[in-house]
Amino acid sequence: MEAITITLNGVEVSGYAGMTILDLARESGVYIPTLCHDPNLASTGACRLCLVEDEPSGALHASCVAPIAPGMVINTHSPRVVAHRKAILKLMLASHPDSCLVCDKGNRCQLRQLASDMGIGLVEFQRIPQPGVIEEVNPFIQRDLSKCIMCGKCIRADQEMVVVGAIDYIHRGSAVRPTTLNDVPLEKSECTFCGTCVAICPTGAIMEKEKAYTGTATSTVDTVCPYCGCGCNLNLGVRDGLVVRVRPSAPSPVNRGTLCVRGSYGYDFIHSPERLRRPLVRVDGELQETTWEDALQQAAAGLQKVVEKSGPESLAVFGSPRCTNEENYLLQRLARCVLGTNSVDNGSRLYSAASRIGLGATIGYAGTTGFLEVLERSRVIMVIGANPEVSAPLVDYTVKQAVRFKGARLCVIDPCRTRLTGFASLWLRPRIGTDIALLNGLARIIIDEKKLDVEFVTRRTDNYAPWARSLQKYTPDYVEKVTGVPGQDIRAAARLFADAEEASIVYGNGITLHADGTSAVIALANLAMLTGNIGRNGGIFALQRECNAHGACDMGTLPNFLPGYQLVDDARARQKFEEKWGCRMPEGAGLNALEMLAPGSRVRGMFITGENPAVSFPQPARVKEALASLDCLVVADMFLTETARLAAVVLPSASFAEKEGTFTSFEGRVQRLRRAIPPVGESLPDGGIIQRLAEALGVPMPYTSYQQITDEIEEIVPFYQHTAFKNAGDGELELTDIEKGLFGTRRLHKGLFPSGFGRFTPVEQLTPTDVAKDGYPLTLLAGTVLFQFGTGSRSRRTSRLGRFRSEAFLEIGGADAKSYRIKDGDAVVITSEKGRLDTTARISDALPPGVLFMPISFPESPVYELFATSLNHQARAPALKSCAVKLERTTANG
Amino acid sequence: MAEVKKPPRVNLRQIDKIIAGYRGRKWALIPLTQAIQEQVGYIPKEVIPRIAAALGLFPAQVQGVITFYAQLYTEPRGKNIVRVCRGTACHVRGGKSILKLVRQYLDLEEGETSPDMEYTLETVACIGVCALAPNLMVNKETHGNMNPKKIARLFGGRVKE
Ligand code: SF4
Ligand code: SF4
Ligand code: SF4
Ligand code: FES
Ligand code: FES
Repeated sequence: MEAITITLNGVEVSGYAGMTILDLARESGVYIPTLCHDPNLASTGACRLCLVEDEPSGALHASCVAPIAPGMVINTHSPRVVAHRKAILKLMLASHPDSCLVCDKGNRCQLRQLASDMGIGLVEFQRIPQPGVIEEVNPFIQRDLSKCIMCGKCIRADQEMVVVGAIDYIHRGSAVRPTTLNDVPLEKSECTFCGTCVAICPTGAIMEKEKAYTGTATSTVDTVCPYCGCGCNLNLGVRDGLVVRVRPSAPSPVNRGTLCVRGSYGYDFIHSPERLRRPLVRVDGELQETTWEDALQQAAAGLQKVVEKSGPESLAVFGSPRCTNEENYLLQRLARCVLGTNSVDNGSRLYSAASRIGLGATIGYAGTTGFLEVLERSRVIMVIGANPEVSAPLVDYTVKQAVRFKGARLCVIDPCRTRLTGFASLWLRPRIGTDIALLNGLARIIIDEKKLDVEFVTRRTDNYAPWARSLQKYTPDYVEKVTGVPGQDIRAAARLFADAEEASIVYGNGITLHADGTSAVIALANLAMLTGNIGRNGGIFALQRECNAHGACDMGTLPNFLPGYQLVDDARARQKFEEKWGCRMPEGAGLNALEMLAPGSRVRGMFITGENPAVSFPQPARVKEALASLDCLVVADMFLTETARLAAVVLPSASFAEKEGTFTSFEGRVQRLRRAIPPVGESLPDGGIIQRLAEALGVPMPYTSYQQITDEIEEIVPFYQHTAFKNAGDGELELTDIEKGLFGTRRLHKGLFPSGFGRFTPVEQLTPTDVAKDGYPLTLLAGTVLFQFGTGSRSRRTSRLGRFRSEAFLEIGGADAKSYRIKDGDAVVITSEKGRLDTTARISDALPPGVLFMPISFPESPVYELFATSLNHQARAPALKSCAVKLERTTANG
Repeated sequence: MAEVKKPPRVNLRQIDKIIAGYRGRKWALIPLTQAIQEQVGYIPKEVIPRIAAALGLFPAQVQGVITFYAQLYTEPRGKNIVRVCRGTACHVRGGKSILKLVRQYLDLEEGETSPDMEYTLETVACIGVCALAPNLMVNKETHGNMNPKKIARLFGGRVKE
């Protein structure tokens, strides 16, 4: 690229064509004040504060939009420039209230900062009256638009970064202000409370509300969001050992300035009064506080007693996708080498096993195949069985950006309306549980119309012919009959997908949690291979519910796999680890989490970290019974969860803000957590707890820092060889380090599968078993909601998230509500073959007839009581997406 | 007192038909809103989300544009539009009192429409016939050299008994 040389404040500097003066100045370390500019937004040049002077022409340029040109002689602080800048600032301050001293934005207000930098105090202009504070009852955001300087950043953040469109300017002239449709409070608008506009507003016009701890942060730490698998980079603000605010990390290539409501406002749980501060042991049936020594001794003694009585195979360990890679690595080492059992599993099995097996069997790589950039530049995106707005907001933003600003076409396959359906060119609503027929049908049309990627199929895959034959019966007519989707829509979708240069598939729990989820994953991998959309062109994006679901499985917290998916049954792999750890490992796969707690299970003693099976498993009442009847249950958690209440020993865990380690995001980025505050009370990071427990059991592990564990993982776990965080030091994570942290994806980027070939695998649509049937005429869907997370053990202890839209409910479509004569707010009872549940009805226009929805995050209405423990066949994980129910109204209607 | 008629119900079917002609064309927001206003008289607030969905815009964006242009209205307007001039020439010659009188006669504030949908009161910057100041317009007709008597003649029938 041609270099362009200009003179900047008397010094010659060069940049490339297309760079703005501001870009080059920043690169050269020259400061130019800005207000409306943000690196994550296209510049608009609204505030004019970044004015600079070009000496030869005498022109004043807004440097954030003006491109550099050869021969420019730029002065950023000439007397003329400074005078103009001051005048602009004074005008802004003239319409700004005198409330700086009491304004919560405090030192973070860029306006105030600039005014004091330029020595502007009392403003001599006449004050312009401004609209005041808006009454808002939501617990997250407050607006005082009298402080607005009309830089437009909030609007652009809202429309361009998170693509929600809740706000825009209203009116004109002096009445103009950024606000919602019909100027309603945010909670009545489309706003998702993602907080992106709050972080970007340079003044106190939009601010975080109800912070639990006030005061300006005195230090900040970049770390990773502990909620969903997107792996957004957070910047925690700390004061006096308390986390006082969260913002998106500035230089993050992952979330690029955005977050969702959980990332922005979901941190209150860190300092929740309910946090466990000391270990607890059961004395005379009651849990009582004690010392670590005592608790560990009792835990070790209890577990050892089980071994003596019933052998090590009667012990089991259940870990968590919320723990770091290092902690998971230690946990499975504890299980295998200290306790001597392969019965070790993690909570992500419930929803990720289908992906692991389905993708493993076809493309040979058990995860998302590309980065979000690939998704963003896809020409066609198919979203199936996923509502990323709730389960993976960052993916939702990316899809919407691709559609609205990059011209991508979106095909949504979902029986229910989501926010994404509004962005779709094509919306197919198959009957629940008929995805396989639909996907097979799409593949058949693509083959019939000769739209397949012949080169890719012949060179990179095998087993094509038998698979193509297996599609015989999936004609458009047949598929229409099975799925209820009109044949012409099926054809349109097939053409849309096959004709695209680059097409991507996004799928989530709506696929993986069904009884035949594994087959559905295989069907969509077949489709992606057929059209050559793997790796460089398009890809498969498997949404991941928890922050480290990927990592927990990679680290071998699984009953049949050692770290890096090396089979437990593989003697060579076992030997490698045995030599490394100096121990003997048990042979043969262990029990998975559901088998551990199934009736008649051989398990008598358990160690559970960061999981709450008493709520998250099907038929929680029965699971509770199983937990209560164990000879020894040791639980490590931040809170006294429903599961911890049943334990003999409860060990207090530290939160994500209190520890170091790495999480692996759904994209396959291995990202580093940094400790922001010391552990609350006497709590310890789970890694520390595991090590101390090992010590108490007489088999200490030889690590003195988490770094040693990372190094060992790097050495011994395939895919993780390049994580190399040791060079990153304590400072900012370099972009190159993040890039190095990627694995798997790199090989796929070269267009190769790890095994060399992708394998087409025939799958058949079976009659769905988890949908409406005789006697139970409705299908109940279970899922999450944006303002809660998982089973809610953290989000419900996060005071603001906990309070906002906090009641459990059952959603029912308008037509069904009418035929059941149910009104909004009526009390209803739902009954399945397995159980019954009382709740409140809420009428929704998102659901098709015959379908109900209920969130899983409310322990007071445990929706999983209604579900059977029927296992997804191949993945041996429960089908937790839907079940057959009947419904009755219990409110007497007049 | 004048009989109070309800504001006309929004004919969504008619509006949807207009919208359909512009579907998928982002740039068409202004012509579309003008077309709706021409046929319906104003742009009902409740159709903003429909316009947005059809053009691939956000409702708040559409509202932003509609409220930016003085010529686009989101409230139904009266059969007769009264525009009192507030330009400099009219101001110097008593435009302010003229406005006050018209407000009293019509029982309306600026920007309001009478409940019977007969009158909408607006002010304008300059009508362009300053020589005749003070001026006002009723629909397309200009009335110059306004004085209390003339106002009484024009709007006297509206005064409540
Ligand atoms: S509210 Fe803040 S971000 Fe939005 S326009 Fe005003 S000053 Fe800028
Ligand atoms: S919080 Fe997020 S969704 Fe709400 S207005 Fe701000 S940017 Fe938009
Ligand atoms: S999208 Fe996921 S990772 Fe990002 S802030 Fe929200 S919950 Fe956290
Ligand atoms: S920062 Fe350049 S115009 Fe605002
Ligand atoms: S000022 Fe009233 S017509 Fe010109």
